Amino acid sequence: MKNIWRLLVLFKPYSGWVLLGIFLSLITLISNIALMAISGWFIASMAIAGAAGVSMNYFSPAAMIRGTAIFRTAGRYAERLVTHEATFRLLSALRVWFYNHLEPLVPAVLEDYRSADLFSRIRADIDMLDNFYIRIIVPVSVAFIAVFIICTVMLNYDLKLALTLLLMLSTAGIVLPFIIARLGQGPGEIVVEQSKLLRTAVIDGVQGMAELTVCGALQQSARQVQLSGQKWIQAQKNMGLVSGLSQSGLLLLANLSVWFVMLLAIPMVAESTIEPAELAMLALFTLASFEAVMPLPEAFRLLGQVKTSAARLFEIVDQQTTVFDPLHKIDKPKTFDLQFNAINFRYKSSDSAVLTDLSLQLKSGKKVAVVGPTGSGKSSLIQLMLRYRQPESGTITLSGQDLSSYSSEQCHDMIAVVPQHTYLFNSSIRENLLIANPSATQQQLEQACEKAQIHDFILSQPEGYDTWVGETGVKISGGQARRLSVARALLRDFELLILDEPGEGLDAKTEHELIQTLVKNLGSKGLLLITHSQTGLALMDEVIVLEKGSCTARGSYQSLLADRGYLTQMLNFDHA
Amino acid sequence: MADVKVVFLKAQKKQSSRLLSLAVGLGSVAGLLVIAQAWSLAMVINGVIFAQKSIMDVMPWMWLMLGILLLRTVIAFFSEQVAFSASAKIKQDLRDRLFRHIQALGPLYLSGESSGDISTVISDGVEKLEAYYARYLPAMSLAVWVPLSILVFVFPLDWKSGLVMILTAPLIPFFMIMIGRGAEKLNQSQWQQLVRMGGHFLDVIQGLTTLKLFNASRREARMIARISEDYRHATMKVLRVAFLSSLALEFFATISIAIVAVLIGFRLLFAEMEFIYGFFILLLAPEFYLPLRSLGSHYHSRMDAIAAAENIVEVLDTPLPGEIKKASEQLSQDSISIQLNNIYFAYDSRPALNGVNVEIESQQRIALVGPSGSGKSTLVNMLLGFIRADEGELLVNNINIQQLDLQQWRSRIAWVPQRPHLFYASIADNVSLGLHEPDREKIVHALEQARALDFVQQLPLGMDTIVGEGGRQLSGGQVQRLALARAFLRDARLLILDEPTAHLDKHSEKLIQQSIETLAQGRTVITVAHRLSTVRNADRILVMDQGKILQQGTHQELVQQTGLYQQLVSAFGETG
Repeated sequence: MKNIWRLLVLFKPYSGWVLLGIFLSLITLISNIALMAISGWFIASMAIAGAAGVSMNYFSPAAMIRGTAIFRTAGRYAERLVTHEATFRLLSALRVWFYNHLEPLVPAVLEDYRSADLFSRIRADIDMLDNFYIRIIVPVSVAFIAVFIICTVMLNYDLKLALTLLLMLSTAGIVLPFIIARLGQGPGEIVVEQSKLLRTAVIDGVQGMAELTVCGALQQSARQVQLSGQKWIQAQKNMGLVSGLSQSGLLLLANLSVWFVMLLAIPMVAESTIEPAELAMLALFTLASFEAVMPLPEAFRLLGQVKTSAARLFEIVDQQTTVFDPLHKIDKPKTFDLQFNAINFRYKSSDSAVLTDLSLQLKSGKKVAVVGPTGSGKSSLIQLMLRYRQPESGTITLSGQDLSSYSSEQCHDMIAVVPQHTYLFNSSIRENLLIANPSATQQQLEQACEKAQIHDFILSQPEGYDTWVGETGVKISGGQARRLSVARALLRDFELLILDEPGEGLDAKTEHELIQTLVKNLGSKGLLLITHSQTGLALMDEVIVLEKGSCTARGSYQSLLADRGYLTQMLNFDHA
Repeated sequence: MADVKVVFLKAQKKQSSRLLSLAVGLGSVAGLLVIAQAWSLAMVINGVIFAQKSIMDVMPWMWLMLGILLLRTVIAFFSEQVAFSASAKIKQDLRDRLFRHIQALGPLYLSGESSGDISTVISDGVEKLEAYYARYLPAMSLAVWVPLSILVFVFPLDWKSGLVMILTAPLIPFFMIMIGRGAEKLNQSQWQQLVRMGGHFLDVIQGLTTLKLFNASRREARMIARISEDYRHATMKVLRVAFLSSLALEFFATISIAIVAVLIGFRLLFAEMEFIYGFFILLLAPEFYLPLRSLGSHYHSRMDAIAAAENIVEVLDTPLPGEIKKASEQLSQDSISIQLNNIYFAYDSRPALNGVNVEIESQQRIALVGPSGSGKSTLVNMLLGFIRADEGELLVNNINIQQLDLQQWRSRIAWVPQRPHLFYASIADNVSLGLHEPDREKIVHALEQARALDFVQQLPLGMDTIVGEGGRQLSGGQVQRLALARAFLRDARLLILDEPTAHLDKHSEKLIQQSIETLAQGRTVITVAHRLSTVRNADRILVMDQGKILQQGTHQELVQQTGLYQQLVSAFGETG
């Protein structure tokens, strides 16, 4: 419940909108109940007057009937506009709020979360919070106020009637949803589970079809899909029983209430505590009052989901960043000599050491490769250089000045990275490139793309630089994405370019050509190649071998080849 | 072409027309019971008000009313369950048909489509039809039957009220559909924008690391706020109009109840009508509009179903490849030799193989090299029987492949694809894919030969560990070794290998290399090679480019010739 409270606090700036939505929704509901009740009273009174041959004031009830009908209609319209307006405002606020909390945490703090999982959760979780206002806050508030009003009105006639209606309404609004939620929990989980199993069976059958075909297992797979489908449907049937019970239960309770109210009220007519015409009114009033609790089972169901979503979002928002920018900015250094002095580093205090007593030097403008097996600590070098993380001990200096006296943004300005995994935004190629440098001219874009050997490909697309890429765009290969990523990095005014495992998605020949072009074009700027293959090593001024967090060898590629170290092992293996 | 989709949806009805009729029948009975219940309530109230009856006098009618409302609840409940069963049958049938159709289309059909999309059609696409058959179709029939039966009672009693009802009735679905259409339009323009806004938000979050690298992440917070605001303004402008139709809907349903009430009231006052009839009609008025409104609220199910049907029809309408001739020749258990005579093949009109001539002797080890797109994969696909040559002939042990039973031919092949698919099943089931009654000892032996036994035994459940999507995650190298174990277990005479290009860790790579060596013994081996070591060990290397075999020979022979092979080798790395 604490998270629900925190959510409500987030909504506080919009409390005016929230209250207005509740008010309008309440008006709409009450109008309908009034319309039915007054109509019942009106025709009974008119009939009694007609039978007795007396006249009656029919102007005001007739006007009230028309009035409530118009209120109902206009109220519904206004309610819809207001609740939607409020939803959009809340949605926008929630997204910005969440983004502002997430931004400082990336990438270091959130590394423990599996990215695909994390993002699909965020999507579903934020969408789920959209429900909180329209489907939970509004109907629940309205139900509470309306039930209070309904029972107060009833109390004017009789305490027993009021209590009966209160009992029935709360059974329908609280007890029934509660029971349904309990009954539905088990079957609901099975439905989710079975739907996953069917999806897995289908994906297996489709993605693994080539293997299934060769192995002669197509029938087996088709049966598997059939069976999973049947099980899913069976689970849905069980779930359908529960939701059917919920709807029928609500209908039954509404009608039963009319029955009980009649049972209690009819003797009161004989006792003259209730006017005859009021009997007709009470029947319709009771029936219509159940509209107040109709949305509650759904709200109840959603509340559980909203709680889970809120907890997941707060879990992220509550994370603390560990790296802080310096209070006073200092200017960019003139040269770019990077020095690691006896660096010890581990990701978490419980993890084993990633870098132990590592000392290295990257001279301004040099082309250097750091090579080593997976897990040797290569990527943590980048994380430290960009100030995403702090070393445990030791210092990193940039031209003599401690790196921590520069902000993370300054580090990004000086160091351009072509990351191991390319992320292309859902946007045009041009927009994707401009992220690196919003003021770049078309000429600059083209130059960068030529150096990254992707310009020709872009021109071969019908829409050229306006080709839409990313998830919904043109499918491009891993190699092409990688080259776009290189072009993007080249648009920066950097001192050092880091290529992180450029071989992912490229064949050896292309990778080699790419590194070659870059070395040729970088001029006085530095290059740091992080790799575990030997491609491109011959082009480097220096090769540093990193094994288990320490530098085990360094020197020119040729000199290291002469040595019987990691490098020769690696080559021997490939050339065996 | 909405028509094709609607025709398709209607055609599926026959799968469970009886159940659908039963659901509608039960719904109609429930509708008649509503009328009976209203009549008994009217009898009770009329008796009390105008005949001064006591509660004891009206008790028979009260009991009748209780009985009716209980029966009505039960019948409504079953009507819903039956409707669900009807749609379940249709869903199940469609899933089977879709899956088998895709299997019949073969693995190559999928290369043109996103396998994720196809899987989604089978699981979630078909699921979207549920509401159409279970809710919309029954609601459609009930929207005719229930109001009609109410009119049958109302007209003889009071033609004026009947007229009000009959005139307003068509307006309700009309405006509901208008709302639906409005929503549809909203779907097309605003919905796109909503998706884009949500998409943009997710896109930014997923690419946050990248944005950070370019110091662009703080800029984005403002963008998110701005896009959300723009979206709110644009959408509210549309919604203000779109909600007008819901205003009209509410107006007609509410106002007509008000009109009926006022009309009846005045006739009662002038004693032109008896109270019981007036009250009965007033009770029926909301019930008259209820099925119409519920039809409207299910209208979107129809739109969803039509959208889903589009994808389903697209898959089912993809023509199947031509019939395969009956096998006329048997393949002996001997080792395999292959001969390709002047083979041509084109995907649609894109040529992939342009006259391939080669002879592969039994127990030879062949390496296929060449740049991507040179036809290596096409050749493998043809050997696996996924495609048939447009021209030329493929002979297996001197028998044309077209005269062989494909299943029998495939049973002679062990194939290790570049990225083997792991099925959501135990390791043992994955290894013994397609084999009936696999022998566990043999599986253990195969795992051992594939150098996979060590890691499998370290898993808590050993080879009963569930792997694949949602199961235990394995590294790329481990997956490769399981695929090799599958090949060992099949003990096929022809081994087709597609070497992994992704970088595996050195340890795995070594183990895989060793187990391939073992596997190759005494078999005909065709390897799509990406590694120099493989190429060197081959008895013969086929160098492919643009759908032709340019060079062939041993490594020593080819490296002497100037040509593509020399270029490829230099790109593999230093040859020294």
